[in-house]
Order: sequence, then C-alpha cells, then structure tokens
Amino acid sequence: MLNSFIFVVMPYAALALLIFVTPYRFYSNRLTWSAYSTQFLERNVLFWGINPWHYGILPVLAAHFLGVIAPGPMKALLGNQNNLIIFESIGLALGLFAVFGCLALLLRRVNTPLLKQVTYASDWVLLYLLAAQSLTGVYVATFMRWGSQWYLHSVVPYFWSLATFNPQIEYMADFPLVFKLHAACAFLIVALLPFTKLVHMLYVPARFLMDPPILYRWRSK
Amino acid sequence: MNVRAQLVMVFNLDKCIGCHACSISCKNIWTDRKGAEYMWWNNVETKPGVGYPKKWENQDKFKGGWVRENGKLKLRALGKGPTLLNMFFQPDMPKLDDYYEPFDFDYSNLYKAPPGSDQPVAEAFSQVSGERMEEITNGPNWDDDLSGSQVYAVNDVNLKDSSLVSDYGRMFMHYLPRICNHCLNPACVASCPSRALYKRGEDGVVLVDQDVCKGWRFCTSACPYKKVYFNWQSGKAEKCIFCFPRTESGQCNACAHSCVGRIRHVGVLLYDADRVEEALLKPDDQLVAAHRDVILDPRDPQVRESARKNGVTDQWLEAAEKSPVYALVKEFAVALPLHPEFRTMPMAYYIPSLSPVISSGGDLHELADHGTFPLLEKMRAPISFLASLLSGGNEEIVAAILRKQIALRLFKRAGNLGQPIEESILKNAGLDEAGANKLYRLFTIAPYRERFIIPTQQREEQDPQQRKGTSGFGILKKTRGPK
Repeated sequence: MLNSFIFVVMPYAALALLIFVTPYRFYSNRLTWSAYSTQFLERNVLFWGINPWHYGILPVLAAHFLGVIAPGPMKALLGNQNNLIIFESIGLALGLFAVFGCLALLLRRVNTPLLKQVTYASDWVLLYLLAAQSLTGVYVATFMRWGSQWYLHSVVPYFWSLATFNPQIEYMADFPLVFKLHAACAFLIVALLPFTKLVHMLYVPARFLMDPPILYRWRSK
Repeated sequence: MNVRAQLVMVFNLDKCIGCHACSISCKNIWTDRKGAEYMWWNNVETKPGVGYPKKWENQDKFKGGWVRENGKLKLRALGKGPTLLNMFFQPDMPKLDDYYEPFDFDYSNLYKAPPGSDQPVAEAFSQVSGERMEEITNGPNWDDDLSGSQVYAVNDVNLKDSSLVSDYGRMFMHYLPRICNHCLNPACVASCPSRALYKRGEDGVVLVDQDVCKGWRFCTSACPYKKVYFNWQSGKAEKCIFCFPRTESGQCNACAHSCVGRIRHVGVLLYDADRVEEALLKPDDQLVAAHRDVILDPRDPQVRESARKNGVTDQWLEAAEKSPVYALVKEFAVALPLHPEFRTMPMAYYIPSLSPVISSGGDLHELADHGTFPLLEKMRAPISFLASLLSGGNEEIVAAILRKQIALRLFKRAGNLGQPIEESILKNAGLDEAGANKLYRLFTIAPYRERFIIPTQQREEQDPQQRKGTSGFGILKKTRGPK
C-alpha cells in the first residue's frame, strides 16, 4: 500500500502538477516568478549557505538525471572500481556540502529578525523538505554503499517503467524506509515546484548568452 | 547613420535649492509601496558628499559601469560566464545598509498610550521588520547640507583636497538631483541574465519588465549610478520609468513638474546609435566631446531623412528642433553628463553650478576688482571637483561653461543697470547677443511650454485595448505578501 502510494501515485501526481500548473502560472501571472533573493536584507550568512547549497546540490541532481538519460555509458563508466570510488567520494562530499548549506540557510531564517517579513510558510516547507532530502541522500550514500552503481540497476529501470506507463514497483519495494523517504521527498519537491519559488530553477540563459548586450524593444518592430 | 530619438532631462545645478520637492512627488507617485520604501528613484544629494546609496561613485566598491579592454567595452563587474556562476550570491550587490533602513513613526501611540507621567511620543519603527528602532542612524539624506561632513563629505571621491570641507573660509556645496540617466549604453540592461531590462526604441526610456525579471540582482550593481533598486517584497528590480505614462501624453515628468526652482528641462535629442560604442572608447577627458559628437543636429536634412527611416515621426522631429535640451547640450554646450567615465553614455545632463559666487579668498574687495563676479580661478567650488563630477576630469570644458555663465551674468547685469556692454565679454566666452538672450531666457523666465517640449506617443491611436488599465507601475495582478 505504502509502496504503491510512494512509487505510483506520487510520481504521476507530481508530474501532472509540474506539467499543467507550471505553464498556467507562467501565462496567468508572472509577477510571482522570482527567486525571491533575500541577499539585500542579509548577506553574511547567506554566502555560507546559498553557495554550498547550490554548488553541492546541482551536480548531485545532474548525476541523478544523467543516470536516467544515459544508463549505458554510466554503467560502463562506473564498472571500473577506481572510477566508482572517485565518483562516490565526490558525490558524498558534494552532498555534505549541500547539507551544510541547507542547514545554514535554515538557521539563517530562524536567527535573522529582518527576514521575518519575507519568510512565508512555503519558505519553511521548502527548507525543511530540502534539508530532509539532502540528509536522507547523504544517509543513503554513506550507509547503502555504491549507490551510484545500484541506482542504475534499480531506480533507473523503475523510472523508465514510469515513463512507459507500466510502473514496476518491484524494483523499489524492498528498499529500506530511509530510501523510500528520500524518494517520497523528491516527488513532493517536484509537486511543489510549480507552486513555490522553486520555479526559479526553470531558467535557460540562452538569450543572455547569445544576445548583444543592449536590448531594445520597439513597438513598431 | 542610424538616427534614434531620446527623451533627455537637463538639470541646471546653478538653480537647485535642494528642497527635495522632486523626490517627494516621485515617491508619492511611484515608490510608496511595500518593498519600495527605501527607493528614491529621484533623489537630491549634497556635493561634496557620499550620496545615496553611500559611496555610489566608488566603482571599486560596487563595480558598476563599463571599462575599456583591448579596444572593446566590457562590464566592469562580470562577464557572461561568471555572471551565471555567481547567480546565487551576487558579490557586488549593494545591501540595505548602503541605502538606509526605511522607518516611519508610530503616531497611534500619541493617543493610544496609557496615562503616565511622561508625554507620549511617536516612536520610530522599521518599515522592513516592523520592529521598534531605538536609534535612527541613517537616512536618504543623512549628509544633507554638509551635515556630518567630517564623516561623509570628506569621503567624496571627487574631492582632491578633503581639507576643503573642514575649513569654514573655503567650504562650498551645491546640490545634485539624480534620476535614472536612461543611458545610451546601459550597463543594467547588459548585465541582466533574464533580459528583463530593455531600452524603448521610440524614446530611449530604460525599463524593467516586471514579468520577465526573476530577481538575479546583477542590474543593481552594474548601474554605476545605483539607480536600479531591488524590491525586497516582490523580489524584482525596479527603477525610474521616466514617468512614461505622463510623457507619452506630452506631460512632463513628476519630478520636473514639481521643481520649484524650475531647474529642469526635458526635450528630444537625436543621436547616431552606430557611433555610440566608438565614442565610448575614447579616453576619459575626451568623452564629453564624444558625447556631443554622437548628438545630431535635428535641422540637418540628412539626419531627418535617416530619422524618418527609423520611424521618428514629424512631430518628434519638430520637437527635436525646438528642444531646450539640444540648445543646452549641443548648441550652447553648457550641459555636461554626470560621470561620463562610467561609459554608459548617460542621457541626463547637468549645467555646472557657478554658485557660491564668493572667491576662495573670501575678500569682498578682491571681488570688486573683477566686476562683481570673481575670476574663474578664485571660485569656491574647485574646477577640478566639477570636472571630476561632470567631464571625466577635463577642466577646460568646465571652465569654458563657467566662463559663459559669468559672461551671461555680466551682460545681463549691465543691461539691467543701463550700463554699456563690453562686447568682448560675450565674445571671449563664445557667445553673441542673440545667443546670450536665448540662454538667459532658458535659464530664467522660460515657461513650462519652453522648458518641456515633449512630443506625445499617440498611444491612444495604436493599441488602446491592450493598454487599458496598464499604465503606471502595473501591479494589478497578485503579488507575494500583503495587499
């Protein structure tokens, strides 16, 4: 029952929300589409929170995606034991980096009076969720060794089974609870993305990189 | 030739009395909102002083504007790649303390306070946190009129000899009203990773598209004048919009309209967009000349032809011909750009201040020797100071303008007193009688319709349905936070 909820209901619900709510928010009201930076009000602790968080979590997230997109090359790469050890060590270090950043951000919200005015329920929910996600991630990486290897043989096929609308929860059913929590948190974060400031992730700097520096807008052109 | 039109404001610093009427009218219309309390799209500073935000002119601190590198212009702060890598924490962003923590007073305490032995007072509270403030330590005009000059004015980067502000015999000051310069080469626009900032083709106004802005904050430091602000409530950047809902219908900007000293002029300039970059690659002391060179004569048939090709209408060409701004910036060459060495090619121009008309010797007899007005070299405000502020350090350009102002005063004084006018006075300053009379009119008695020549945009004929209800700052949809 729990397995079906976490591994069938949650991913499809999250995906549906992401696909339908995001464009709705984009086209109906973009005034709330912002990263909601608080650097203006507090910058000293922010530096030690926001940088470790982003630089830690982005490569780890990218590695998760890479496994799903290109399982073949990843299997080949991690088949070599040396590569696996290096990959795992870097992953764990980045994970710890992200945990450190996330906790710093959480404590910063608690301890800075000036931030109270710009801290909403969604900020707390996200910070706790992301902290839980990164902590369970680090736990899995530490106590369920060689995760980057077995991820490719269990989670990746499961994701592909989701994509083909033939969810095979057998891949996931026997994992320990912490791991299931990690998965549930991930789906929850995806589900919340279109409703919160997490939409700032959906940003491609293509125009910035290609355009000439000065941008004009003409009514007639 | 790629001729475009730009709405430009000229400030006559000689006439600014520092009353802040402009700042107040701007604040009442545009920034009287949550998250914008600390913003002053228009502010008036005392010079010498550190300004608002504090030390905005110090580009070692905020890394604003452009620099030349290998024959090209480059943002002083970060290239495109480093910008993307620094999105999470923007290293150069000014913080709240660089401006000030906005405050208000709890007036309700005056009638709600319980009976007691003391007179109740309206206590100050922060408009950000809402908490009571024990002591107000900063404000938008904290160094107004040289107050605290030993702490603030001595740090003015334009001041070569900072002992000037501690010597009562040699002290000087003037005011510097500032709005967004709506630059021809805006660094804020170039720095925006979301591409939310843009320059309007028709009138050159630089705007932030509130829908596109995602609050990456690079514009706030890239603008060397610190005229792009971060709204901490909405999480987006905001800036002076040159009152476009007013100028589009031919009314002048709120700041200019409320100016009791009538120091402001607004009009159209035509410029050659293809030559802007080349002009900005000149050395600092040649930048004013380069500015003037880019500005084109609206009576030149070739210029008019090229302007029409770019969609500049006859109404705008007519306004460009009559433009008081063209007269002041190019024809008489008495108005200068603020800190041209930041290389954004600012489109707000300043007529340097001649006052106070007291020689640095402080001796009235010495004054009389030179016909009521002091010699240029004896002026209280050092020419080097004005040159650092307005001409990229070129003292000759500032001196030429002050000479014109002195000649104009001598000429009108002689006229008023029925004394003979020495022709050489005007001639030496590069003026003739007709020119002097025109300049005198612009400086003094020109009425509203001569100070502000703003052609309309005829938006009512273009897209009235789409525009309905969108004029102004346009926060009609739901934003985060309280209503």
